[in-house]
Amino acid sequence: MPGIYVYSDKVQEAAALIGLAAQSGKEVCCISLDSNQAQELKEYGPERIIILNGNSPLPENYAQSIAELIKNEEGELFLVASTVRGRELAAKTAGYLDCGMVSDAESLVFEDEGIVSTRLMYGGSVVQKEIIRQLAVVTVPAGNLQAVKKENAPVSIVSLEVQADPRVRLIETLPVKRDKIDLASAEKVVCVGMGLDKQEDMKMAEELAQLLGAEIACTRGIAEERQWLPVESYIGISGAKIKPSLYISMGVSGQVQHVVGIRDSKIIVAVDSNEKAPIIKAADYSIIGDMYEIIPLLIEELKKA
Amino acid sequence: MSRIIACYKWVADEADMKINPDMSVDLSKAKGKISDYDRNVIEAAVQMAKISGDLAVTLTFGSPKAKLSLKDALSRGPAEGFWVNSEMAEQADGAASAKVLAAAIDKIGDYKLIICGEGASDTFARQVGPSIAARLGIPCVSSAIKMELSGNEVKVSRKLEDGIEIVAAQLPAVVCILPEINRPPIPGLKAVLDAGKKPTREYKIEELGLLDSDLGARNETIEFKAYVMNRKNIVLDGETAVDKVQALVGSLKKEGII
Repeated sequence: MPGIYVYSDKVQEAAALIGLAAQSGKEVCCISLDSNQAQELKEYGPERIIILNGNSPLPENYAQSIAELIKNEEGELFLVASTVRGRELAAKTAGYLDCGMVSDAESLVFEDEGIVSTRLMYGGSVVQKEIIRQLAVVTVPAGNLQAVKKENAPVSIVSLEVQADPRVRLIETLPVKRDKIDLASAEKVVCVGMGLDKQEDMKMAEELAQLLGAEIACTRGIAEERQWLPVESYIGISGAKIKPSLYISMGVSGQVQHVVGIRDSKIIVAVDSNEKAPIIKAADYSIIGDMYEIIPLLIEELKKA
Repeated sequence: MSRIIACYKWVADEADMKINPDMSVDLSKAKGKISDYDRNVIEAAVQMAKISGDLAVTLTFGSPKAKLSLKDALSRGPAEGFWVNSEMAEQADGAASAKVLAAAIDKIGDYKLIICGEGASDTFARQVGPSIAARLGIPCVSSAIKMELSGNEVKVSRKLEDGIEIVAAQLPAVVCILPEINRPPIPGLKAVLDAGKKPTREYKIEELGLLDSDLGARNETIEFKAYVMNRKNIVLDGETAVDKVQALVGSLKKEGII
């Protein structure tokens, strides 16, 4: 049956995608690999839920089964939440279907002539707008989308036995090492960049962070080249994306790859000696000056406040 | 001895990007470079081949401009460079690129491992690696931060949102890597000179059994514009550093943030 298919390995994101797909006015079919999840997703009122039963714990191993299902049912669109698993599953499915794909769509609008999508390129400095007129796979960062329950909607649930790809097998999942860093939900963030001369200067950043009740973050160079902070601490296109009320940078030049990770901050403050640094253009408030002078003064001033 | 193929993309260097007043993007003056993560890809292939005794080679799909990339890629250690040369590469989407690369890999033959970057520094669409695997009908593992060959498998540590997962994939396989997997060294002078003597092989689209018409973009791009971030852009002024800092604290209080 032509319609929109949605999938996520994370139940909340799958729920949000059901809502997004429903905006098209077309039939929404939610694919699930877990019957408990399917029961939860029922509350969000897709027209159909198809549970795929196979023998692999890895969702990525179901790409071919999903591609066959969508092909057989002549689906029009496959929406997948942009998680690590989701992206791989989506790209493989698009490969099996030999169809187009939009990765990490920032917006998706169902118009008469097609589906209009936008996505970012060049580390977030360019927006590409595309129109989808034929079968496509689209991944969506669904973490920020709202999922809405639909009371008493009739949902048809069917189970299908499928053959998962046996060639990738799970060996182990390492215990989640959550070093108390949770940048994505941090209310305030102090970010250090390569402008910092030596590792002991981190103390200055830590003192500022403590005063503000902020988390410490850094640029990729600080985490990967200098290894002053764990890789979980770096912000950017391949690192953490944050949305705090306040972001303060010190010694961060503001390359686009970094700035894309801070874009959703409410207020961006930059302290940098170079008035031409890109971070100044990305900031709400900037102080042009030597951070070794400015930051201690700021600490003093905040202590007074 | 079989091949370990490092796929890389020759991209416009975003540092040379110009934004016109109408927010259109000008890349005509941009120099090319090997996409950032793909330097890690080449290094990974070289390291893996050194351990396993296999042959590290590179593969790219690019327009005639990408010819420049071969020496750069080979200076990083691989033994041979393959290049699919077509103007179509300029507008190829992920589907077309994966189709061409899969066909080229098939043609090169005798491979045990294909390494791709998780995403390219221009599009960062993260789709070509898994799509190549689907088209070749071989397994794929993405988001790799560590890998080793053992027997007829590649064992990979993957970075997920909430932890690390270790999987084993049957060879041949595609592995898409994150940059933390290694630190590519800057090639020395000797390596650069030696690169010029290494064999390269150029393919045309037709030699791969494909037609230009197979490579059109699936979706139509209707706009390509600079992203505008609306920020206040207030540079705090003052006679002394103290004045500037006080102005900042005042502004943040007014915003209700502190």
